[in-house]
Amino acid sequence: MIQEKIREKAKELLEKKVVDVIIGFGEGTLPLRATPLFVRSPDEADCLIWNSFCENNLSTYLHKLTQFKVGLVVKGCDSRSIIALSLEKRFKPDQLFLIGVPCQRMVDRRRVKKAVKGEILRAHEQGDQIIVEGEDFKTSLKKDDFLYPSCQLCIHRNPAQANILVGDPVEESPLLEIDPEVKDFESKSVEERWTFFEKESSRCIRCYACREACPMCYCAECFVDSSHPKWVEKGLSPSDLEFYHIVRAYHQTGRCSGCGACERACPMEIRLTYLTRKLNLDVKELYDFEAGCDGELPPPLSTFKTEDKQEFIK
Amino acid sequence: MANGLEKNWEPKILAFLCNWCSYAGADLAGTSRVQYPPTIRVIRVPCSGRINPLFILKALQNGIDGVLVSGCHPGDCHYISGNYVGRRKSATLKRFLKYLGFEEGRVQFSWVSAAEGIKFSQVVDEITQSIKKLGPAERFVKRSFEFGVNSSERKS
Amino acid sequence: MKLKLDKKDFQPFLQNLMDEYDLFAPIRLADGVFAYKKIDQPEEVDLSASNTQKPAKEVFFPQSETMFRYERAGKEARITSTEGVERKRVILGARPCDIQAVCLIDQVFSGKEYTDVYYANKRDATTVIGMACNHPLSTCFCTSMKGGPFAREGSDLFLIDLGEAYLVELLTEKGTAFSQNEFLKKAGPNDLNLAKEIEEKASKKTDASMPVEGIDKKLDQMVENPFWEKVQEKCLGCRVCTYLCPTCHCFDIVDEALTNKGQRVRNWDSCLSTLYSLETSGHNPRPTNRERSRQRIMHKFNYFPKNFDQIACVGCGRCILYCPAGFDIRQTIKEIQKG
Repeated sequence: MIQEKIREKAKELLEKKVVDVIIGFGEGTLPLRATPLFVRSPDEADCLIWNSFCENNLSTYLHKLTQFKVGLVVKGCDSRSIIALSLEKRFKPDQLFLIGVPCQRMVDRRRVKKAVKGEILRAHEQGDQIIVEGEDFKTSLKKDDFLYPSCQLCIHRNPAQANILVGDPVEESPLLEIDPEVKDFESKSVEERWTFFEKESSRCIRCYACREACPMCYCAECFVDSSHPKWVEKGLSPSDLEFYHIVRAYHQTGRCSGCGACERACPMEIRLTYLTRKLNLDVKELYDFEAGCDGELPPPLSTFKTEDKQEFIK
Repeated sequence: MANGLEKNWEPKILAFLCNWCSYAGADLAGTSRVQYPPTIRVIRVPCSGRINPLFILKALQNGIDGVLVSGCHPGDCHYISGNYVGRRKSATLKRFLKYLGFEEGRVQFSWVSAAEGIKFSQVVDEITQSIKKLGPAERFVKRSFEFGVNSSERKS
Repeated sequence: MKLKLDKKDFQPFLQNLMDEYDLFAPIRLADGVFAYKKIDQPEEVDLSASNTQKPAKEVFFPQSETMFRYERAGKEARITSTEGVERKRVILGARPCDIQAVCLIDQVFSGKEYTDVYYANKRDATTVIGMACNHPLSTCFCTSMKGGPFAREGSDLFLIDLGEAYLVELLTEKGTAFSQNEFLKKAGPNDLNLAKEIEEKASKKTDASMPVEGIDKKLDQMVENPFWEKVQEKCLGCRVCTYLCPTCHCFDIVDEALTNKGQRVRNWDSCLSTLYSLETSGHNPRPTNRERSRQRIMHKFNYFPKNFDQIACVGCGRCILYCPAGFDIRQTIKEIQKG
């Protein structure tokens, strides 16, 4: 249903030349993966698909297409990235046409792979199940047991701002007082927290997939490439790996939509969202700000209130 | 964590002091002959809002035992609102460092005015005591200069 | 010579090996994440992955390597070089594709014209114990790239997993040094037959149909083709493919310096970074992702074949498995050949 509507709308937008290109999802060559698809003519629109494997945050491609009018298929998290980007004036107001999809939440392909023995050759959805097939097995898994962590905790599945919604809005999960993942991590001791972070960042290979997959990382010169001043070296010293991850996460303060694209892109499966979730929680608690929800409120670190909390200052 | 604590270890603390208030306050402490521990190394900045969180992290990576950031009281900033902007960065960074697993008390923040020489000495005393209890900085310090780096031989 | 190593003797075999050699083998960094590292305890060795994320080249060409350290003491400067290798080495469990890739980059690092001492010293000191792929993945196309799941080129010893034991083939002089190893017994006819069966089955599984014949000539005609604009659209320029590729070998040399001491470090680099080709003047001959991803394909399928008569791709499939955007080089190859 949603897939049909996406194709219809894409065809219409391209025929009427409302946009130059539509960015959506197409069939990937691997099971459990959809792949970003760039459609430029109405007859290609039938290649667009929609399923629970459409995990990429497509707004990261906008930085390459600033001179075009772009139609974009957005989930809840993606639309909030767009709002956060528009606050930072990354594109002109009429440059985008957002095809909003109320998100059914995306399947964690890595956990599915680990749940079966043998290579998965084919996978498809059937209702609330995912059927995976290999050379000598065929298993049915309950989709809700295999969602990405960022999707499990998502409270903004409906796109906040879209030109058109191609499905009925889904029921949002209730807003929790405190993020359960953050709460769980904060209950660990100081040593345990550092050891966990040290272990996770030690696998890093400085490929910067996390940075490129993130729509909010668009700096022409990233802090890692700065040589005057040289903040961090380019090698794999444990301290440099930790430095990179601390700062990349910190640079998302007040900007991160929690889409999880960083963690999904990482080839070494490093846990990254637990860092940005904490920053998002703090920004909500301290400054009542949530990235991508309001297109008018200025980003929290670009402004101030005289009555901001300062109990930590002597 | 006080591993490798040498007998006469004295903490090394970096103090970012804003030129108009805190630096002047430190100066006043000096001219008033108020005693405070000789643990701080001062970097004078125009305003506490100038502090890039990367400064603090770089200092910690280079092995500093503690960092103090001090600015003008809210409402008194020479640049009107620099300290307010700095306050938000400090708040979010402090919470994040604690979450990551940095010991609490290594990075501290204060408002010290140009007339508060005594307060300045108290602030330095407090941070010195905290750092003495925490011991020398261990986590995050870059050690590859001692051993060189070879990523296929280093254990993860 | 074909010998057998019972799996119950595997740990003692490793311990015995480590008494004489520095052992490099895959270890499990996290659930499903593997890389080659120097082994401290035999229990760390984990050969369960179809293939490691990080390729075997990093044993000879580490991702970050200090080339020398220096320290100033008064008017004197002390330099410590790190090009020497102290002990003999063994790399265990490398898959044929990774070994083929190491042989490929041998031509760059210790070829006819230049010798990179850091690489060459490690390479000369290392005995390669390759391991066959009993269950290649559907993304493996090594057989299209002159390799195969049981290709033995480049291995000094070759292991085939028979279930309860490994068949150990001693292939070269470095390999025959193991002929008297106390843990290696003579292989029986049953073992040899089982190995043959497994080899036949595995060789059918990989993709031998990739049309790479004459691709370099095809690419010669395609430098300004609009194809490159289309092919790079979904590429994020994230560099995962170059870092996990067993044949990629670009590097950057930096000096990390404090006031009185420092080190010169070589790190892997990637042609897909914007900065890679940025010149001091500010001009960048590869300003957009189009030029950079074109360069990557050209290097692998056109420039390297012109220089070394081999395509710089061994069909390991890592770039396909780990690309965050689902870029598939098999599709690209087919599209290039179609014209």
